[in-house]
Amino acid sequence: MARFLVRRCLWGVVLLVLVSAATFAIFYLLPSADPAVLRAGRGATPQTIAAVRHDLGLDRPVTAQYWHFLTQLVLHFDLGYSYTSGAPVSSLIADGLPATISLAAGAIVVWLLVGIPLGILSALRPRSWFDRLAMGGALVALSAPVYWLGLVVLYLFADDIGRWPLLPGAGSYVGLTRDPWHWLTALVLPWLVLASTFAAIYARVLRTSLIETMQEDYVRTARAKGISERRVVLRHGVRNALGPLVTLLGLDVGVLLGGAVLTEAVFGIPGIGRLNYTAITTSDLPVIQGTVLLAALFIVVANIVVDVAYALLDPRVRLDG
Amino acid sequence: MRSTPTFARRLIPAAACVAVACAVSACGSGSDSRARTGGDTSGGGQDRQQQAVNADNGAGGSRGGTLDVVSNQDVGPNIDPGYAYNGIDLAYLSVTQRTLYAYEPNHADRAVPDLADGEPQITDGGKTLTVRIRPGVHFGPPVNREVRAGDVKYAIERGFNPHVANPYAPGYYGDLVGAGRATGGPIAGIATPDAHTIVFHFARPVASLVQQAMILPLDAPVPPEYAKPLDAKAPSQYGNNQVATGPYMIAADAKGKVLGNGYKPGSSLRLVRNPNWKAATDFRPAYVDAVSWTMGANPTVGARQVLQGSHMYLADAPSGPTIKLAYQSYRRQIVFSAGAGVRYVALDTSKPPFDKVDLRRAVAAALDRAQMRTVRGGPLIGEIASHFLYPGVSGFADAGAQQGFGFDFLAHPTGDAALAKKYMQAAGYPSGTYTGGGSVLVVGTSGSPDDLDAQIVDRALRSLGFKTRLRLLDQSAMHGLCGRPSAGVAVCPNLGWVRDFGDPQTVLDASFNGAAIQPEGGTNASQLNDPQINRAMAKAELTVGEAARAKAWAEIDRMITDSAAAIPWLWDKQPILFSRDTQCVNAQWNQGYCDYAFSSLK
Repeated sequence: MARFLVRRCLWGVVLLVLVSAATFAIFYLLPSADPAVLRAGRGATPQTIAAVRHDLGLDRPVTAQYWHFLTQLVLHFDLGYSYTSGAPVSSLIADGLPATISLAAGAIVVWLLVGIPLGILSALRPRSWFDRLAMGGALVALSAPVYWLGLVVLYLFADDIGRWPLLPGAGSYVGLTRDPWHWLTALVLPWLVLASTFAAIYARVLRTSLIETMQEDYVRTARAKGISERRVVLRHGVRNALGPLVTLLGLDVGVLLGGAVLTEAVFGIPGIGRLNYTAITTSDLPVIQGTVLLAALFIVVANIVVDVAYALLDPRVRLDG
Repeated sequence: MRSTPTFARRLIPAAACVAVACAVSACGSGSDSRARTGGDTSGGGQDRQQQAVNADNGAGGSRGGTLDVVSNQDVGPNIDPGYAYNGIDLAYLSVTQRTLYAYEPNHADRAVPDLADGEPQITDGGKTLTVRIRPGVHFGPPVNREVRAGDVKYAIERGFNPHVANPYAPGYYGDLVGAGRATGGPIAGIATPDAHTIVFHFARPVASLVQQAMILPLDAPVPPEYAKPLDAKAPSQYGNNQVATGPYMIAADAKGKVLGNGYKPGSSLRLVRNPNWKAATDFRPAYVDAVSWTMGANPTVGARQVLQGSHMYLADAPSGPTIKLAYQSYRRQIVFSAGAGVRYVALDTSKPPFDKVDLRRAVAAALDRAQMRTVRGGPLIGEIASHFLYPGVSGFADAGAQQGFGFDFLAHPTGDAALAKKYMQAAGYPSGTYTGGGSVLVVGTSGSPDDLDAQIVDRALRSLGFKTRLRLLDQSAMHGLCGRPSAGVAVCPNLGWVRDFGDPQTVLDASFNGAAIQPEGGTNASQLNDPQINRAMAKAELTVGEAARAKAWAEIDRMITDSAAAIPWLWDKQPILFSRDTQCVNAQWNQGYCDYAFSSLK
């Protein structure tokens, strides 16, 4: 296990370096607004633009810029300064990260709590009215864009503009440490919206996987041995059927960050998604680089966790290979 | 010569208006000019309501409470008063930073002394400008000392520091003696003979223009002993640690750091009372105790929150459907601030095919400007423009006011196909359609309603026989291409401009002076470099006296409009939304917003 973790961590570092290099390359290869011109302002003289370009270090070769970025990051854990606000990127990320983690972690809990039971119950009663209702609902949830669903939920249930005011609406997010109860209530609607699509996917995947698993020989054997149906389902059926879901979960952490951008936008949550979006529209490379690296880090860590979890769920998988 | 507003001053925020082109921002206003020119042509009862709001100076407002501001836009992103130029930034800087002069909310045509202790003195034939600094004005924490003339001197000098990179310092203060080589250090042309006197020496007689520019935040005092270490960093960190002089300050920690405290980029801005502000030194009543600004709101949701909520104000321009909703169901919670800018379509005059004036006039004649306005919200959000100096700008009346100069190619807001054909024939295309071959690159802004306006322009070009390549990009990329001659962009449909203050030079110079053509980042998207117009601008720039300047720039407006280098199509009115229990006092000088120092809560 230890060798596995060390190896995966090293590969993770390599991956992060590659991601940062790719981000740099994409930024310079694809057409975007010149950060120096943006910072200097429209109508700035060529001299001013040149001075700003020098100030931002953009007049150096791309390789030199990248090397500077890497050394600053590795040696000082310094992600540089935003081209536009002049704020340290690390502080911008630190400001937005709690909100995004709150949103993402809560959404994961919600979709697992909703998706897994729905998938199990549907698989155990295939083609029943419950199964048809659950899977039909899942299709609706899959088809509903997060952005649209968010607006609908706000117009129905937000306590300021909702038809039936139940919960805090857009712009009500506060930090967990500032007011835990307000934090919780303000995130219920965003969690439900962000989790809806994923819960639908997980319910459908688990249903399919569990139906197949329940037809395996070892399940029949377990029943023949007189084990209770509850134990057969949970211990032999669900445990094996969860494999694909665990793999999916690792991948979805990355997808989740993408979905979080829209959810943050609809609910006015000041997270990493909005920070990243704004940085892209203003060609703010240091912030883009920081947020992309953060997303990559999430995915790397999530995949390591998934691999470990996979081994724990399936004894046939060995990590020390 | 003024060099232009910046990318940040992109005009007219938002949906109803959104961006214009350019740099825009500062700006504009209204009601007085409307009175001069016979008033608005649309709105009916709304006009009466608006006139009442425009005349309101907030007198007798209730004290206390927190005004909640909601916006989709971020402030900044650079909140340094030495840099910020965006209209949305001027709203909070105008109550946290005292400039030498300032506009009262209900007088957009006349600035009053703010940090200055009286009117400026112009001597030496317009080459010297002397301003007395008001005693008794103090910096907020953590500096806590009285403001001196040297603080204003340093504020202007740091504008030339590349770490600050003020976008308009070279334009307005570039004629200061010694400014040509300035990089943030002392400028010989600024002297402070005593602690409360500042004297500006210019190489050319531009004092009458510069004194008007003293309402911009670059003039807000900056304590050098506190700011210099922050300005030494690249980029400067003063904005994130700024010190206030106005009635409010951005909430900060004990060391003065606002970043992460009262200001969280892309998230929130919180203004609290400045404990060192003395009401006796200021004309602002400062009714509310605090302003809590939440950024990143969904535009539709934010607008609804404001309309249905309490003690709120929307700092974005609302979308067309929201304007309609507000106008129909919340009539008392929406006003339209006139004089919020001009929008135009720029045609590249430097190369074929639009180097032919008749071809440009044909496009102007064919363009359905009324439809362009309709997709943004219709008559409520502005008047069809007939020239570039818009209501509220000095020179508007001299330029013929709403009627303009009577050019036939701008006479029909819905377009005139027959006239367009006539101009095509005059340009050398007997069939009335373009047969020159090739295609023209049209670069517009993505996102509704700008994309719809771009498509209307594209359709007009196609109706004349042009083959077009329409590219819709984000606003920054659009400006980047339209401001770069080598990009080969023939038509930029989504441009616009807002004045910095009432002088007409601030509208026309940056957009149409040949000197504004730059290899990149230029503001003259038409690439208009007409020697006659350039000469007229050079002469008008040095003209003294408001009436004479208005007349001179109105004539330049006529020349530009006649050249059809750009097609003016809208004089903007900024829709302003607020809650039913918010007494919004419209600050007219800019694009229009609830002035935080004059508005109050019911």
